[in-house]
Amino acid sequence: METIRVQHVTPNDMPWKIRYDASRCTLCGSCVSACSFRAIGAKVERRRMVFSEGDLPDPQQRFSAVPVIRQVKDVRHYCRGCGICEKVCPNDAIAPQRNPDTRHPVVSRCLGGDSIKRGGRKNLEGTTRTLDKLRVGRISQMTDPSLDAQRHTFDLLAPFGRIMPPKALPFSLDNQNNLQVEDTMPPVRWVYPVIIGDMSIGALSWRMWEAVALAVAYLNEECGMPVRMCSGEGGVPVRLLKSRYLKYMILQIASGHFGWNRIAKAMPHMVEDPAGILIKIGQGAKPGDGGLLQANKVAEHIQAIRGVPKADLLSPPNHQGLYSIEESVQKMFLSFNSAFKFRVPVAIKVAASATSVSVFNNLVRDPYNIVGGFFLDGIDGGTGAAHEVSLDHTGHPIVSKLRDCYLAAVNQGRQGQIPLWAAGGLGKTGDLAADAFKMIALGANGVFTGKLILQMAGCVGNDMGRCNACNTGLCPVGITTQEPALVHRLDVDRVAQNIVNYFLAMDTEFKKLMAPIGNSSLPVGRSDALVSTDKAVADRLSIQYVC
Amino acid sequence: MAAIISGYDLKQRRISTQALLQQIYRSLEQGETEFEVTSSGHHNIGGPLWTEDGRPLKFRVKNPGQRVGSFGLEGTEIIVEGSAPADAGWLNAGAELTILGDGGDTTAHCAASGKIFVAGRVGTRSGSLMKHDPAYANPEFWILKNTGSFSFEFMGGGIAVVCGYGREDLPSVLGDRSCMGMVGGTIYVRGPVDGLSDEVWMLDLDVADQKFLQENMPVFLGKIGRSELEHELTDFSRWRKIVAKSYEERNVHSRMTMREFRDQRWVGNGGIFADVLKDDYSHVAGLVNAGADRIKIPHWQDKRFGAPCQVACPSNIPTQDRINLLRQGKYEEALALVLKYSPFPASVCGEVCPNLCMDACSRRYIDKPVAMKELGRLSRNVAPPELPAASGKQVAVIGGGPGGLAAAWQLRLLGHEVTVYEADQEIGGKLRQVIPTDRLPADSLASEIQRIKDIGITVRNNTRVDADLFETIQKENDAVVIASGAHNAVVIPFPGHELLTKGLDFLKDVNAGKKPRVGKRVIVIGAGNAGMDVCLGAYAMGAEQVLAIDVQRPAAYKHEIDSVKALGGEIRWPVFTEKITAEGLWTKDGELLQADEVIIAIGERPDLSYVPREWLTDRGMMDVDACNHVVKTRGVFAIGDTTKPGLLTHAIGAGQEAAFQINDYLAGKELKPIVKPELINQSCLSKELFKPRNRGRFCVTDAKDEALRCISCGTCRDCSMCLEACPEGAIRRVEKADGTFEYVSDDDVCIGCSICAGICPCGVWAMEIMV
Repeated sequence: METIRVQHVTPNDMPWKIRYDASRCTLCGSCVSACSFRAIGAKVERRRMVFSEGDLPDPQQRFSAVPVIRQVKDVRHYCRGCGICEKVCPNDAIAPQRNPDTRHPVVSRCLGGDSIKRGGRKNLEGTTRTLDKLRVGRISQMTDPSLDAQRHTFDLLAPFGRIMPPKALPFSLDNQNNLQVEDTMPPVRWVYPVIIGDMSIGALSWRMWEAVALAVAYLNEECGMPVRMCSGEGGVPVRLLKSRYLKYMILQIASGHFGWNRIAKAMPHMVEDPAGILIKIGQGAKPGDGGLLQANKVAEHIQAIRGVPKADLLSPPNHQGLYSIEESVQKMFLSFNSAFKFRVPVAIKVAASATSVSVFNNLVRDPYNIVGGFFLDGIDGGTGAAHEVSLDHTGHPIVSKLRDCYLAAVNQGRQGQIPLWAAGGLGKTGDLAADAFKMIALGANGVFTGKLILQMAGCVGNDMGRCNACNTGLCPVGITTQEPALVHRLDVDRVAQNIVNYFLAMDTEFKKLMAPIGNSSLPVGRSDALVSTDKAVADRLSIQYVC
Repeated sequence: MAAIISGYDLKQRRISTQALLQQIYRSLEQGETEFEVTSSGHHNIGGPLWTEDGRPLKFRVKNPGQRVGSFGLEGTEIIVEGSAPADAGWLNAGAELTILGDGGDTTAHCAASGKIFVAGRVGTRSGSLMKHDPAYANPEFWILKNTGSFSFEFMGGGIAVVCGYGREDLPSVLGDRSCMGMVGGTIYVRGPVDGLSDEVWMLDLDVADQKFLQENMPVFLGKIGRSELEHELTDFSRWRKIVAKSYEERNVHSRMTMREFRDQRWVGNGGIFADVLKDDYSHVAGLVNAGADRIKIPHWQDKRFGAPCQVACPSNIPTQDRINLLRQGKYEEALALVLKYSPFPASVCGEVCPNLCMDACSRRYIDKPVAMKELGRLSRNVAPPELPAASGKQVAVIGGGPGGLAAAWQLRLLGHEVTVYEADQEIGGKLRQVIPTDRLPADSLASEIQRIKDIGITVRNNTRVDADLFETIQKENDAVVIASGAHNAVVIPFPGHELLTKGLDFLKDVNAGKKPRVGKRVIVIGAGNAGMDVCLGAYAMGAEQVLAIDVQRPAAYKHEIDSVKALGGEIRWPVFTEKITAEGLWTKDGELLQADEVIIAIGERPDLSYVPREWLTDRGMMDVDACNHVVKTRGVFAIGDTTKPGLLTHAIGAGQEAAFQINDYLAGKELKPIVKPELINQSCLSKELFKPRNRGRFCVTDAKDEALRCISCGTCRDCSMCLEACPEGAIRRVEKADGTFEYVSDDDVCIGCSICAGICPCGVWAMEIMV
C-alpha cells in the first residue's frame, strides 16, 4: 500500500479534471502524445473482484491489471483544460472537465511559495460587458437615406499621426491664388481602424508572428485594406526591417527597449519608413507591470534579436528615464520623431486608469505637434504572461475611459487632433466589428486587438480559465511557444488566411453597421447612434437611455 | 378625338394630382382611350389603367411629375413631350413609355416589362432593380445619351441600351459605379465605360446581340424622332455588352493564395526569420506526430537506475539480477552470482545481516519483500567462481574479518596472490568471535570460510601485525589492505568502571567456548546491535534477568530487540549512568539498578598502532580517500571498522570495493570512487501489474519461487508488455550476438505517447522530454 496523504496533490485539487472512459479507450496514445502540458500519462490500474458463486461462501478472486490513461498528480503539470486530448481522441474517451471544487489557487501558492503566473485574459468576468449593453439604435429610417453596406463605397480609414486643426494648417495663397504649403506638416497615416496590437516576437512563436505580418501584407496588397501591425516590444526581424513591408509595421518601444539595437542598425538599410512608432508605457491586462517573458520562451533567436541571455526577461514597470508626463512627451516623443526625421508618426500606449484623462489632457496640448496618437488599453486585454493577481484584479475598463478622454477633448474643441485608439477585450465575443464600431461611435478613431488574432490562429484559451498557459511556452497549438515541436503545429499560411478572412468579414460587418446610420466614413464620436437599455451605462456614457 | 386633361382649373390654378387622375379615370369610364395631358408636375400619370375590351390607351403628356407611367400596363402608350422627373417608368408592367427629353433619377426603376425610350440622358440609379418576369417579354430600356452614377444597381433582368450618343467625352456613359449588385439582364453600351462593379463581365457583341440592336434600333430612333442616327448607332464595333456574373462565377475568388503570396511576394528566401533560425513552413505537424516533432521520446534504459535492494545493500548485491537468472531457469548461475559480490551470502545475507535490501524492496508495497535472506542461504554450498590467470601481483590483507576476507576473496578472484594476516587462531573475525551461534550457525560460517580458503588464499593465523611486521609486509607486497577491525572496547570512566565487563571480550569468550560466568541479574550498557548480542550471550550463559540501557533511543534493529525481549529482556532509555558499585548501576537520577554484573557494549575502536601515526585521523581512524586509499601513502588501503564503524555488510562492501580499487592501482590506472547506481523512483514502476499475495497466507517455502514476486526494478524482465501495448507497434525486441537482448523503439513510427514508460513494470522505459 502506498498511502495518499492529506498534502498530496490529487486531480480533484486541480482546476480541471480528466474525464476518462476506459471502456471507450483503445489506448491509441493520441491524447498522451499530444498533451504538451504532460498533464496525462499512461498508468496501470488494478481491477480486482472477490466473489462467491456457490451456495455456500466460496471465496474466489478475479484480478487483472489494465493500462489506462490517467491525470498526472503533480501541481507542476496540472491540466489546463485546453482540450487537445479531447480533440485528438478518436473515441470520445477523454476530455477535461472544469472542477468547481478546485483548490489550485491555494495549493499552488502553498507549494510554490511564489505568485501564480499565467497568460490569457482576465478570468473574473461575472457580468455582461458594457459594450453588450449598447446597441446601434439610431437607424436611418426615413430621416435620411441609409446606405447599402454591400454596394456602396465606405471610407474605413482612421488617422495615425498628429492632426492639425484647420486654422493651424500652414497654408497660404500665392499671387496666382494657388495653395502653398509654408511649413512641414506632422506626418499622418490614414490606416484601417483596426490595428493588430503589439504582440512581441518573444511572446509569439516565430511562425505565429510571421503569419500575422504576412496577413497584414496580404490585406494591404491583395485586398486593398491598409491594416497595420504593431511589432510589440522585443525587436523586429532584421529581414523585415530591410524589406518594403516595413511600411505596414508600427514599431514599438517599451521600458525594456528590447530589440532597438538591431532596428537602429537597420535604419541605413531601410527602403521604407515604418508605419509608425508606438511608445508603450503600460498594458491594460496588467497595468503597472512591465513585460514578462519567461525564460523557457527565450529561444536562441530571441536572445540574438534582443541581445540578452536566456533568463526571465522582465521589462521594468516604468521607463527608467521618465519621471513626468511633460518629460515623457519631450523626451520620448521627440526622440522617436527625430529618429525618423519627423517623417513617421509617433503615438503612445498607456493602460486605462483613473488618471487617464489627466494624461490625455496633457498630451492634447502638444505644442510641438509630435504626439501622433493616444492608445488606451483597458483591463480585458490579453497578455502572454502576468502575475494572476495583476491580471485578475488590477486595471480599468476601457469603455467609459475612452469616452471620458474623447469628451475631454471635445470640451476643449480639440477632438480628433490626437487620434484616440482603444483596446482591452474588444472582440472578446468574437465580434470585433460591433465592439470597434461602438468604441468609434463613443469617440475612438480606431481600435487595436491582439488576443482575438490568436484566436483566429487556433488559440483555444478563453476567459473562463481554459488553457491560459501562454507563459509556459507549452502552447498546444504552436502560437505562444518557442518549442520547435509545438511551433511546427502551426500552419503559417492557414493562420494568415484566417486573419485575412476575418478582416474581410469584419470589413463587411463594419459597413453593415455604418450603412444604417448613414455614415460612409467612420462615425467617430457619433454617440447619437448608440442607445443603451442600461440607465447607468447610458448616463455614464452620455448616450440615450432606451427601454 | 382625345380627352383633354388639364392640370389647371378654370382659374388657372394647379389642381391636385388626385383631381387630375380622377379626370383621367372619368374619361376612361366614358370610353376615352386617348388622353392629352397638360400636367404641372402631377405624379403617376399613365397607369395602371386598362379597358375592358382591350383597346389600347394612349397618353401624350406635357410637364409630368414623378413616376409617369408607373405600373403602366400592356396596351398603354405614354409619350412625354419633353423631360420627365424621377422614377419615370417605375415598376413598368408592360407600357411603352417614350420620353422625348431627359429622364430623371431612377428612370425605369424596377421596370419588369414594357419598353421605355429616352431621347436624352437619365439620372442616377436609372435602371436599378430592373427584372425579367419569364412569363412575359424582356423589359427594354433605351437611352440615347448616358446615365447618371449607380445606374443598373441590383439589376436582375431585362435589356438596357445606352447609346452614349454625343457623350464620348465622359469618363463613363454609365456614370460611376454602375451595375453594383447586378445579378441578371443585359446592358448594351456604346462609348466609354469606367468604374464598373466587379460583379459583371463586359463582353463584345455576338451575332444575336447585333441582330437585336439592328432590328430594334430603328424602332427606338423612330420613337424619339432621331432616325437619322441609325447609321451612326449601328456601328457595332463601338458597342459592348455587360452581363452579370453567374452565381458560380461570383463565388470564385481571384486573389492569389496565401502560399503563392508568401512564395512570390513576401520577404524572400525563407521569410523574415531566415537569418536567425531554420524552419520549413511547408512542413506542418499534426497534434500527434512520429519522428522529430514528438514532444517526448522513449528510451529503453536497462540498468540505468539501480533496484532498491541493490542500492540499499552496502555490498552492492543486485538481487534483481539473481532473480532474473532464476526466472530464466539458470539456477546455478543465479546462486553463483552473489559470490561475485560477497563470500558470505549464507552467513551474512542469510543470517546476521539486517537485510537493508529487504527493507528497501519495492515488493513490500505489494505484499512482502522478496525473501533475500532465504535466497542468500541457498548459496551456502555453491562452488566458488573459477579463477582467472595469475596476475603475478601480491597483496597482503591485515585482518581476517568479514572486510578483510571480502577483500582477499575479490583480489583472489581477480587473479592476485593474497596473504591474510590474522591475530586470532582462525579467520572469520567478529563473525566467528562475537556473533552468538544461535544467530549464526557455526557450520554455515565454517563452510563459507572454507570456500574462501579453497580458492587459494594464504592465511597466517596467530599473527598479530606490529610495526616491524607491517613494514616487512609492505615491502613484500604490491599492495596492502588494512582490515584489522575494531577490537578495543570503549569504556566510559565513570566511578567503578573497573567493575565493568567489556561486551566484546564477553562475546569472544562465549563464542570461544569459554563459558564466561555471569550473574543472575545483568545490566548491559548500550542498546545497539552489539548490546543485543551481549544480552543474548548473557542469557545463554545463564543470566535470569537482563536489562539493556541507553542514553538515547536504542540503535539496534527491531528484530534484534525483539529476540532479546522474547527471552524476557528489558530495555530502558534514556538512562544516564552515575557510577558502578558492587550493588549494581546507579543512575544520575539516584536510582539503583541492581545487578550482579554490568557489561558495557557501546562500541569498539581500532588498534592501529602498527601503522605510522600520520596515517590516522584525529580520531585515530585510518585516513582514507573516497577510494579507500590511505591518504598519506600509496598502495595501502583501509576498510571496515578501521575507517568508520559499520555493519558486517558495510565491511564486506568496502572489502569488495577496495579490491576493485587495488586491481586498478596494480594496473597503474587512476583511481576513481565507485559510484552506486542511482535509485529508481518508485513512481516509474508499474507495480499494479503484480497480483498481491495474501499476506495472511503468505510464507516462503522455496526461495527460488521468489522469481515470481521480484519486480526487477530498473532491469528489464523481458516481459514484452511494452511491445504488446505500443499502439503503433513501434517497439521490437532485438537479440544481440552475445546472447543479450534489447528493446528498441522505431523513431519513424513511435508517436511519443509514453505508454511504454507508463506501463513498464520495471521502470526501464523513460521518456526524454523534448519541450
